[in-house]
Amino acid sequence: MRPSQFIALGSCVAIGMAWVFLMQNWILLNIFPGLLVGPGLNLKDYLQTGSSPAFTVFWFGCITALLLWFSTTLTARPSSSRQVRQVQPLWWLASIGLVVFGLLCLSWFTIFRWQVTGTSPIEGNAVNFYPVPAGGWFLLIGFVLIDLIVLFWLPTVLATPRTYRFVVPGAVTLLGSR
Amino acid sequence: MKHIFAIGVGGTGAKCLEALVHLHACGLLSDPDGQPARLGVFLVEPDQQSALLARAQTAISRYETMQRAIGRGADYFARGELCNYGTWSPLATSSGAISLDQVFPKAVLRTQAPGVAALFDCLFPPEEQTADLDVGFRGRPPIGSAVMSRISLEKEAQVGQWQRMLVDIQTAAENSESTLIHLFGSVFGGTGASGVPTLGQLIKDWLTRQGRNSVKVQASLLLPYFDFEGAANEDTGVHAESRSFQLNTNAALQYLSSRGISCFDHVFLIGSDIKARYGFSIGGMSQSNAAHLVELLAALGLRHPTQNSNAYAHVLSRAQSQVVTWQDLPDDELVGNGLARGARFAVAWRHNFSREIDEAQKLSMRSFLSGAPWVRRFFSPHNSGGNHAGRPGIRDNTQLSIQSSINQYTDTLLQWLNQISSNVGSGFKQELFTPSLLAPADQLANNLHKIVQGKARPRRSENSDTVEAIKVAMDWLPEDQITHPGMAGLADCLWLLVA
Repeated sequence: MRPSQFIALGSCVAIGMAWVFLMQNWILLNIFPGLLVGPGLNLKDYLQTGSSPAFTVFWFGCITALLLWFSTTLTARPSSSRQVRQVQPLWWLASIGLVVFGLLCLSWFTIFRWQVTGTSPIEGNAVNFYPVPAGGWFLLIGFVLIDLIVLFWLPTVLATPRTYRFVVPGAVTLLGSR
Repeated sequence: MKHIFAIGVGGTGAKCLEALVHLHACGLLSDPDGQPARLGVFLVEPDQQSALLARAQTAISRYETMQRAIGRGADYFARGELCNYGTWSPLATSSGAISLDQVFPKAVLRTQAPGVAALFDCLFPPEEQTADLDVGFRGRPPIGSAVMSRISLEKEAQVGQWQRMLVDIQTAAENSESTLIHLFGSVFGGTGASGVPTLGQLIKDWLTRQGRNSVKVQASLLLPYFDFEGAANEDTGVHAESRSFQLNTNAALQYLSSRGISCFDHVFLIGSDIKARYGFSIGGMSQSNAAHLVELLAALGLRHPTQNSNAYAHVLSRAQSQVVTWQDLPDDELVGNGLARGARFAVAWRHNFSREIDEAQKLSMRSFLSGAPWVRRFFSPHNSGGNHAGRPGIRDNTQLSIQSSINQYTDTLLQWLNQISSNVGSGFKQELFTPSLLAPADQLANNLHKIVQGKARPRRSENSDTVEAIKVAMDWLPEDQITHPGMAGLADCLWLLVA
């Protein structure tokens, strides 16, 4: 890997952490509070015990996928461009897998966790899940996609090493058209 | 600039010129400043159907075509200029005569000079007098000497290939301090044994008459290094026999020790006690003897510095009896690096880069680029095909013809390297190259580490000695280090990085 790629990777990870752990909560709390607030749903409680843990686990998932991607592309020695291109479906598979994983994380911390334990996330309420409104779900899914872009696509497009560096979708347009 | 005029006489001489062309391609014929020499090549062979001659001509014309196609498009790769003077047959001067009794018409001799006719009968038995010489001098130096001695260089200098070469020799001698004429041929066969000393003497006399004594005349003389497998049949007629090789050699060396100084300023004598085995052939297209290391060593004689040496004859030996290594080659450091670079380049180009370019013809540029970031350093990253920032399209016909010329030359180089590293004789081995890695392969080559053996192998880890590592390096090279775009630029860059 080139020094510039190390810097890009480090920067992307730092930006990703800042985004997931600081900015995202701030945006949910201050810009879109109306979309998440519903009957019986306390936004602060939900951010603390619902979305934040879900996005934290999702962040770990993205970092794990990133490590696997970099270890694969750093150690492989493809002899042809065809072998390089054959890795592209793997990237898409990882991305789709991460989206599904993100949705599962949100579902777990919003619904299933409470149903499995038989407890209610809202004190004094009978419902054993966070009643997130439909608009809130769309917002959360949007954040999963944004997180995927920030945590997986951006570092892979900017820092994928060796002959794999243009295999990530968009890399040719961004870096290779000069 | 150093000017070298190489003359290959006979089949072995042609094979030596083939080796010389490959040395030239590997950048091993340079002046002391590193400036590539200008190499002129001239083949002398009565057997115009000779497969050995055809092979040498193929190597020469392919290098010439490649060099012309690349032109000024490369700074390092294929920089050595080559001038091909073509092929000349000593029988061409004998008004279509193809046998000795036609070269020296016996009927005329009998009436005008009966004594000479009797001497002719005494020197040459009837079967030698009537043997067709269009397959060469049939391993008989006396036949060759009789034909060769009739050559008049003054007359030949008026027309054709000789004229072109002799004019160039004169021009080079006027303009350059370093002009060299080097002859190659065997001393144990027919054409070389008779032709090399005769032509050496003719050229030396001609230079003296022209007042060009600064031009040195040298020769690499090949002593027996192969035997024939199988034998001739009754219909073969006069033919070369391996049992005569030693006798022919002794006679040639005796001649050389008494008259050699009048033919050559220096000679290089090289043979092998361990003989390669070739199938018997009278000559012509069936004589397809594989290239041999001895021919490379003979060609390397040309690199030997002789300016400050009074020695006349130079010989070479190896350190171990059953194996030849890089240390056995003269100037092994430079020669090893040059040949190693050539072999690694040929494998990387022919078995990887060229196939990648073929693959690029079937895909959109965007799709190909996604797996080959290096390609945009030399070719336009767009499909349109036109120039982009000075870089041509990868489907540009001019670029594809350069690719084809490099392919053809590298095929020849790989075949030659494969043969010199596998055709070593029984009980003998070489530790220069790995022949199997030089052979054509379906798989794309990636690992370059094992192509070269021994001390000429580049000092880098096996894991990083790959074509992929070269592609990565190409991708990240600073802008100012890629001075030429297109196919020639790619080959030039590969030539630099593969070393």
